[in-house]
Amino acid sequence: MTDELNHFRAPVSKTFRRRSPFDQLFEHMCKVRECIDILGKGLIKYYKGNYKDFSEVANKVSKLEHEADLIKRNLRNHLPSFVFIPVDKGKFMWALREQDAILDHAENLSRMLDMRHTKIPKELQSVFIEHVKLVVNTVEAMEEAVSNIKDLVETSFVKREREQTKKFIYKVHEFEYKADEKKYEMTKSIYKLEKKLKPMDVYHLLKIADWVDDIADHAENVADWLRSMIAK
Amino acid sequence: MVDPVWLIIGVASAIAFYMAWSIGANDVANSMSTAVGAKAITHKQAVIIAGVLVFLGAVLVGPHVAQTIKSEIINVEDIESNLLILGFISALLAAAIWATLSTWREMPISTTHSIIGALMGFGIIAGGIGSVNWLKIGSVAASWVLSPVFGCIIAFLVFKIIVRLIFAKEEPVGAAKIVGPIIIGITGFLVSASLLFKTSISKDYNISDFQGLIISFLVALIIGIISMFLLRKTKAKREEDYFTVERIFRKLQVGTSCYVAFSIGANDVANAIGPVAGIIDIGQNGMFTAEATIPFWLLALGGFGIAFGALTWGRRVMKTVGERITSLTNTRGFSVDFGAATTVLVASRLGMPISTSHTVVGAVIGVGLARGLEAVDLSVIKKIVVSWLLTLPIAAGTSIAIFLLLRTIVG
Repeated sequence: MTDELNHFRAPVSKTFRRRSPFDQLFEHMCKVRECIDILGKGLIKYYKGNYKDFSEVANKVSKLEHEADLIKRNLRNHLPSFVFIPVDKGKFMWALREQDAILDHAENLSRMLDMRHTKIPKELQSVFIEHVKLVVNTVEAMEEAVSNIKDLVETSFVKREREQTKKFIYKVHEFEYKADEKKYEMTKSIYKLEKKLKPMDVYHLLKIADWVDDIADHAENVADWLRSMIAK
Repeated sequence: MVDPVWLIIGVASAIAFYMAWSIGANDVANSMSTAVGAKAITHKQAVIIAGVLVFLGAVLVGPHVAQTIKSEIINVEDIESNLLILGFISALLAAAIWATLSTWREMPISTTHSIIGALMGFGIIAGGIGSVNWLKIGSVAASWVLSPVFGCIIAFLVFKIIVRLIFAKEEPVGAAKIVGPIIIGITGFLVSASLLFKTSISKDYNISDFQGLIISFLVALIIGIISMFLLRKTKAKREEDYFTVERIFRKLQVGTSCYVAFSIGANDVANAIGPVAGIIDIGQNGMFTAEATIPFWLLALGGFGIAFGALTWGRRVMKTVGERITSLTNTRGFSVDFGAATTVLVASRLGMPISTSHTVVGAVIGVGLARGLEAVDLSVIKKIVVSWLLTLPIAAGTSIAIFLLLRTIVG
């Protein structure tokens, strides 16, 4: 960084960072939210057999992933050891990393689905759609938990706000659990149709179930790191 | 014909005015920018507050530290009057040069450290190692380390109190309306106590310590009640209305900004006028008298110089720095202001010349350690320590060089 000299000696200006790491974490989170919204809607269309706009969805997801990557890199590169933040920096970084993993999985999923348009059998459509809705819910709950961190910092981590964040975190766990259960239900139904489907289709359907569920898993990880970040 | 001594006093006053200007432009701006950054006041209002209250602080509490700089750093009895005059001039000039250089390079040095270093330098040359009051230098140097630490501790505690008594409560806004005025009342108590305890004012009006205590307490009560009255209409919009809490503290921070400006005037004016006061002593009495009071016009000159510095260059500095530290909210800014100003004011009353800028930085770090700030760059500590280690030898060296040069010219 080449800071232009302003010709004054005001050490206070050097004690502050230009940007708050929590603002940047939240900014990154907004990208995650936007991306999962687009992906969720795209997936439902895809499951119903409408593949027309899916390339567009994949492109949007990739673009958002890239934008979020820039935020993540900026955040990581500008938190050296001499910067003091009110939470454990390691845990903060892990939360960021897991948040970013959601985007990586979303990008991977959308690209893979776009490569081979697998037809979802009529019998499976409803359970697939329910699953993706649960995954989106998990990410939404995670967003609430992350956005509450602003209030936590503002009040310097008082009990009331910590309890509130914890409530959001429980919600994430709940949705993630439901999504997991739904995934096993999906897998079971896929095995039931084993004889009717082509092997490649079975493989791909199983993969879709896994890939979509990964997103919820990482949302849960973010919540877990958040929980340990605010632990007393 | 004009007495040459008066010519020298004129020149010295001019340099002192420049030093005062530099203090106003940098150190005052540094401290007031916390209020500007927290948007408690605009940088124009900051300039006005700084101008008025720095002047008052300089005139009312300034003499304590000025006495220290004038007569306690070097054992003036050991040195001939003529050399003393030359020495004071070279010290002032050396400190001014170093202040200018470091401002140009943006090094976080302190004018206090420069002037002490410069006085030390000429003392060693003019009267030998023994003519420097090492005991005093030691305690002053200790105060340089202690003042940021105290600023840090007080700011830490004030912020923790705000968190405990306001943010952790069921109704933060209601709690803020009570706790805020109490802290502002304490501010009023400290300021009036600093004015009434064993000062020229208390002597002039025959106020005993006990009476001073009572008056200060009354002042605190009145200020507290007034601010409660002003805040009575503020209501919470919802249960967790932290925004309104900050708004309450935005109003209260106007008070602590005044407190900061007042304390800085009290401590920093001496850096500029201390040496001139010594020269005037010799010029008027033909000899140095440690007890001689510091003339009012000189304090006023210093106070005006600092105010002028804040008004001109300082305005720009406040704006620039204020824009950089917008992450400072009002509850944090309030804690920083209170911690720093209290430390500076107490040090001023003890006659300790400390660095106000470094104390403010200590207070900011204190709030950061209390988990009040989103990110604090601790590398600033290293920069400050480096400036401590550099300032004394450089200022002393420059002062010695100028002193030798002047002696050859005059002698």
